[in-house]
Amino acid sequence: MTATASQSPAPANVAAVPGVPGMTRREFLYYIWAASMAILTAQTGGATVWFAYPRFKAGEFGGIFEIDVSQIPAPDSEPKAYDAGRFWLVNMGDGNANDPRLQQYVGGQTYTTQTPGVKALYKICVHLGCIYKWVSTNNRFECPCHGSKYLSSGVRIGGPARRNLDVFVITVLDANGNEIGQTGLTDDGEGRPVNITGAAKIIVNTGSRKNGAFNDVPGLG
Amino acid sequence: MAAFDNLPEFLKPHLPILDDVKKKGLVPALLYKVNEAVERLTAGLDIEDIRSVLRGDPAPRPNPRVKPHADGFWFHMRPTYYHTLTSGLYPSFRLGWLSVYFFTFETITGLILMLFYTPSPLVAYENMLNILSNVPFGRLMRDLHKIGAEMMVAVVLLHMIRTLITGNYKKPRQFTWATGVILLLVTLFLSFSGYLLPWDQLSLWAVTIGASMAGAAPVIGDFADTMLRGAPGAFNHNGLLRWYLAHVLLLPVIGFIFTGVHYYKVIIQGHSLPPEAEPVGEDTAKRVPTDQRVYFMPDVLTRELLYVSLVTFLMVFACVTFYHAPLEPHADYLITPLHTTAPWYFLFLQGMLKLGDKVLWGVVVPGIITNVLLLLPYMEVGPSRRYGDRRIGLSVIMASIAVMAVLSYMGTPWYGVSSSPDQEVVAELLPQTHPGPVRTVAWAELEAGTYDSTDYESAALTPALKELLHEYEVAMEHARSNSTCLAADPPNCLTTGKGYMIIEDWQEGLKRITFRIIWADGLNNTEPCLTGAKFEFCQTAYLHRDSDYGHGE
Repeated sequence: MTATASQSPAPANVAAVPGVPGMTRREFLYYIWAASMAILTAQTGGATVWFAYPRFKAGEFGGIFEIDVSQIPAPDSEPKAYDAGRFWLVNMGDGNANDPRLQQYVGGQTYTTQTPGVKALYKICVHLGCIYKWVSTNNRFECPCHGSKYLSSGVRIGGPARRNLDVFVITVLDANGNEIGQTGLTDDGEGRPVNITGAAKIIVNTGSRKNGAFNDVPGLG
Repeated sequence: MAAFDNLPEFLKPHLPILDDVKKKGLVPALLYKVNEAVERLTAGLDIEDIRSVLRGDPAPRPNPRVKPHADGFWFHMRPTYYHTLTSGLYPSFRLGWLSVYFFTFETITGLILMLFYTPSPLVAYENMLNILSNVPFGRLMRDLHKIGAEMMVAVVLLHMIRTLITGNYKKPRQFTWATGVILLLVTLFLSFSGYLLPWDQLSLWAVTIGASMAGAAPVIGDFADTMLRGAPGAFNHNGLLRWYLAHVLLLPVIGFIFTGVHYYKVIIQGHSLPPEAEPVGEDTAKRVPTDQRVYFMPDVLTRELLYVSLVTFLMVFACVTFYHAPLEPHADYLITPLHTTAPWYFLFLQGMLKLGDKVLWGVVVPGIITNVLLLLPYMEVGPSRRYGDRRIGLSVIMASIAVMAVLSYMGTPWYGVSSSPDQEVVAELLPQTHPGPVRTVAWAELEAGTYDSTDYESAALTPALKELLHEYEVAMEHARSNSTCLAADPPNCLTTGKGYMIIEDWQEGLKRITFRIIWADGLNNTEPCLTGAKFEFCQTAYLHRDSDYGHGE
């Protein structure tokens, strides 16, 4: 039966190439079959990736950290590490906002982020995920992997990172537990320091992270 | 057979060997059977044929020595004979054969290690300690697996460079070259994926950088990052399991398949002759004149076996004398060690990543390098493989190797990641990535007291203390004259720096060692190591009598 079919003349609507027989029904059905196999393979591949993708419920990461104002470092003193929440708590005073290295590297750019206040810096380097550390002698954060350097305010001053450090959202509460401030966004889109005047405690929410602003000013710190 | 006479015909045992024994006698009949078994196992060579091979007799006609190649499974993969010009070390240096050998060697040592390993962050590191201390030959197996992995990468890279230099990747061997590039990638990722398994600091941070690089890819970055780590933003048990399965199953299977394809093409096209041995533009590898044949058996076979025996001996020798696979402290999500580096074959990547944007240097450039390698035969298209005709090609190859060397240097801790001078001095003595001089010192010779690094020549010191203080002073002297620091930030340079080592008997069998460096105004600090003291840096380590950082030596 099929042998007869393959020997039957090509349908008239198939363009005739000299010496090459036109498409037979048998050949056509093979293409259809091959196409269906290709689609099946793609579906299986997609399902495999879907299957292999790790599953997490919303809220599985991050936590709420209540910190009494007495625990917040004094303005312009060294950052304080909170390992459990994976963040550095920094209190920037005027000294920080006017750091000469900031002027040197930022040059003409406007950094509205450099207002005094408190920030919770995510401990992970925004370059490739290593843990940067505070180097007291050099008065800056340094990443041991590829050498990104940041001021205590989180502003990148050197190395291959291309943005400032990420921050967690801080909510400021007064003695009665009323909210008197929260991390807002600057014009650059990064987290602004919060003012803690009159505050009794702050709440750091590590489930809510704001990326640092783009910053590719050259320099090796 | 009288015992069976009464049995029905279909139950009577028939043992032909007994008939043979009756006919020829016991010994000749058994010898005949043994000979037959040998011929079956070798797929065509009986004992006399084998002895003829070993004696070096010329092959008889018809030649029985080709039978194993025609009829047997193992030898059908190998050519019956080589050209005299390709049977020696030059031009191949047998690096392809050596790569296959290492692949097998790693499989065997890896399977043995798997018996004592569970891919879970809870016990993986403990498994390492067990392998190192309790399992008979455990440490040897781990060291051999590690040194074999390092050598496999080196051999595969050399194999590639050799192929580039002799120009074998040119037409008609472009496809063989492409499968070779895939095998190079498989080798690199096999070696790198093994990094995570011990779950030590080296593991975690090397692989964190690797996953973050994948995460830097546009569009699919976050997806790839989570797939590789098993969780968004952090490695967990799921990530370790994924890397383990890739290391022991996925990558070896891909490597196995492509080794088959690669070698099949090599055999089909023949081992390429040295460039100077054939006319330009011709490929005469398959046409081997009768008088220039070196038969696989026994010449090539014995050379190959000698070669790998020697390499295995050298590896075992290295592992029982000086080489030990490193094991850093347990993985810690909160500390990236100072001076953490990629494995040597990825140092060029670490160097590139220090240069700038991670998408450019971590995704785009490595992608370009891989694609250029794959398509190289279509870029250097001149028909001649002769060295004299490939001046541009060879210059580009050599320049690329030089660039790789410079980038690899830039990947080391000496470029771009140096911390402050005080911390660098202490890192020389108490490094965060390996035991270093203090932790491996003769414990009993650490006498309590406060020592100044400049007093290293004092006669009152024990030999171990003398040596430690001398290293300390060398590092201090280096820091005092650190020109980069002097140019950039004078107040923090150790120009006036003084280094102290304070040893205290802290508990029974436990000593506390403090390194204290003071400089500038810090020279006036009277109380050592107060919290928040300026111009002073202190780091402390506790050493137990039995802490055994020398791994039992």
